[in-house]
Amino acid sequence: MIYKVSYVVQGGEYPGGIKNETERPKVGDTVQIGRTKFTVTEVHEIMPPRDDFQFLHATIRPQFDEAGT
Amino acid sequence: MELIPLLKQVELFQGLTAAQLEKIVAIGTHRTVPEEAVIFQQGSAGDALYVIVNGQVEIRFDQPEGGSRAGLYMGAGQLVGEMALLDHGPRSATVAAVGGEAAFIRIGSADFMQLCQQDTAIGFTLMRNLAMDLSFKLRQRNYRPSSGD
Repeated sequence: MIYKVSYVVQGGEYPGGIKNETERPKVGDTVQIGRTKFTVTEVHEIMPPRDDFQFLHATIRPQFDEAGT
Repeated sequence: MELIPLLKQVELFQGLTAAQLEKIVAIGTHRTVPEEAVIFQQGSAGDALYVIVNGQVEIRFDQPEGGSRAGLYMGAGQLVGEMALLDHGPRSATVAAVGGEAAFIRIGSADFMQLCQQDTAIGFTLMRNLAMDLSFKLRQRNYRPSSGD
């Protein structure tokens, strides 16, 4: 299964991203979008699976926010 | 490089048989560019679509006050340049490799459209999958997450 993931950043200050993943993202995972690392905070299905693909939204938060910087 | 295994990982080519994928390979060119290389510039003529097979690209939009702003990042398996292929308008954004080199398959617009017209089974599948991809991108753009706090 291939997971086509829409990554959307909380707060809208950073661009999101779209990429295929070989494993379904989970809350707490780290993902790099562009030059910045983010933590996954929410994952849900956008639309039903088709062929070998699942379509997901993942909400993410910049990791330096978690450090309070 | 063997392109068929790469094409099977791309939603655009889902539903195509091995023989049909061979026809895609025949019109595609595999390229790798270094970090920060610009693949195409906003405002230029759109003569191809690009399938990212490795790395990430930044989608940049020119700003009225000068400079540009990153609007989206696209990784493996994603399409860029498909809008100009469909509507023949100028490129709506600049696309550049970020975070390292990026590899992609370039398919010229004329070859793509000719294949779709010559083999309508391939054409139907590609156009349906292109519509699915544009729908996904629209949902991504429209989605507004909760604050999470």
